Amino acid sequence: MKEIVLSVEQLTVYRETYAAVQDVSFILEAGTDMAIVGPNGAGKTTLVQALLGILPRQAGEIFILGQPLTRKGVLPPYICQQIAYLPQNFLFDRRIPMTVEELVGLGWDNLGFQLPWADHRKRRHAIREALARVDSAHLRQQLIGALSGGETKRVLLAYCLVRPRRLLILDEALAGLDVRSESEFYQLLYQLKQEQDWAILQISHDLDMVRRHCDRVLCLNRTLLCQGTPEVALSPDNLSAAYGSEFVRYRHHH
Amino acid sequence: MPTELTRIIELFQFPFMQRALMGGILTGLMGGMLGSFTILRQLSFFSDALGHSALLGISIGLLIGINPSVILLPFAILFALGVTYLLERTRLWTDALLNIIYSSSLAIAIIILSFVGQYKGGLNNLLFGDILAVQELDLVLSSLLLIACTVFIGLTLRTQMLLTLHEPLAIARGVAVSAHRTAFIVLLSLVVGVSIKAIGVLLVSAFIVIPACAARLLSRTFTNYVVVSAGLGALSAMVGMVVSAAFNLPSGPSIVATQLAIFLTAMALPRLRVLGHG
Repeated sequence: MKEIVLSVEQLTVYRETYAAVQDVSFILEAGTDMAIVGPNGAGKTTLVQALLGILPRQAGEIFILGQPLTRKGVLPPYICQQIAYLPQNFLFDRRIPMTVEELVGLGWDNLGFQLPWADHRKRRHAIREALARVDSAHLRQQLIGALSGGETKRVLLAYCLVRPRRLLILDEALAGLDVRSESEFYQLLYQLKQEQDWAILQISHDLDMVRRHCDRVLCLNRTLLCQGTPEVALSPDNLSAAYGSEFVRYRHHH
Repeated sequence: MPTELTRIIELFQFPFMQRALMGGILTGLMGGMLGSFTILRQLSFFSDALGHSALLGISIGLLIGINPSVILLPFAILFALGVTYLLERTRLWTDALLNIIYSSSLAIAIIILSFVGQYKGGLNNLLFGDILAVQELDLVLSSLLLIACTVFIGLTLRTQMLLTLHEPLAIARGVAVSAHRTAFIVLLSLVVGVSIKAIGVLLVSAFIVIPACAARLLSRTFTNYVVVSAGLGALSAMVGMVVSAAFNLPSGPSIVATQLAIFLTAMALPRLRVLGHG
């Protein structure tokens, strides 16, 4: 049995007054690529933001690498360092003076107290390697405000993988990428999973891609409707439970 | 002209001018350093509001007979914590709430000042500052604060950068966002607090905003931006003090006018370069 990277027990998260996520339990093992699917408003983003401590939870327990996430959303720093997160909408002030190199470097740093020039060489080396891995070495000196949508995604992925991690959380990371970038992206995820035993948790709307690339699927619509391998979880019966029967008929006819 | 130069050099032999110059440089460095983060986090109006509200602190000090330099720092910290609390509790817009706070503090301050009879003549000094009245105590406080700012920003630079760029990414990395936000606001308030006596309540926010905006126009990387911003703050204080000595102009406004000149130059630079190449 592989190491359990993430374990969620009966998680409930309220947004304003309603339960956006209710009573969700699952585990994620190392070297596994798990997809969360479900219609808009199903609570997918709410779920991952609660796992990261960005949103508070009302009930349930979350363990990452065996350590509990406190109710205030705090994890020990050495655990935080093992997690990378790529948000759905990376909205930032484009006037900020920051180069791609500086952004990727932030992924490498231990965000405690440190001298700005600590481990300068190791850091620069890691930044160059990460950018080369996502095919963006040429963007190193660019201002992040000048990047296109696709370039921003690549650079953020470099921010995630500039240091070895155990858990990568992607919130619709691939939306907006062209076909070639998308398949390269999946190839990279496959390498991270196979070679470095990363666990990957990704929200996706592309069910065909999920079928082809993911090992496990969670079908979510406020509550967890089903989980299992893609063949089981994405069977027509389960899909109609998640998205409604109209949707499944549409997919079969087209 | 040589006689003019000699006169300026002679003027800077006086201890009060040296203190003024030193105070200006310290304020410029601190204002520039914190200002670079302040404008990106859209807190520039906060420094302005704090400056205006500080008049309330000063007037209470005058009423009960406490030295303004002593009362301003605790006042600034209370103001910072109070505003942060209100902003988190009410769901009002930041600039509207700050407007309420600073205009009402200003109103109450002026009413209190009307009871402090002997200080009526000093209102001008409170509004525009009296950099020549900088005492050794003020210099010691400013130096300590500059050290505190440099150590704090230096050791948490990367955290500050990530927080400025994108808060959720910082939370996901385990950064205690609200503690950091409070720490930054308190430091910023202390900087405004120690600078008010020299520059006045109306002009103090220029030290936070103008050098940082000029530095933004001149830098590509974040680290350079912070350093250039602090450097421009110090440079404009030095040039401003010399200008004020040479032409016998009020010191605080001369420094702010110098900051403006530097900002305009930074704006014009790319255009000048284009002309040069064309």
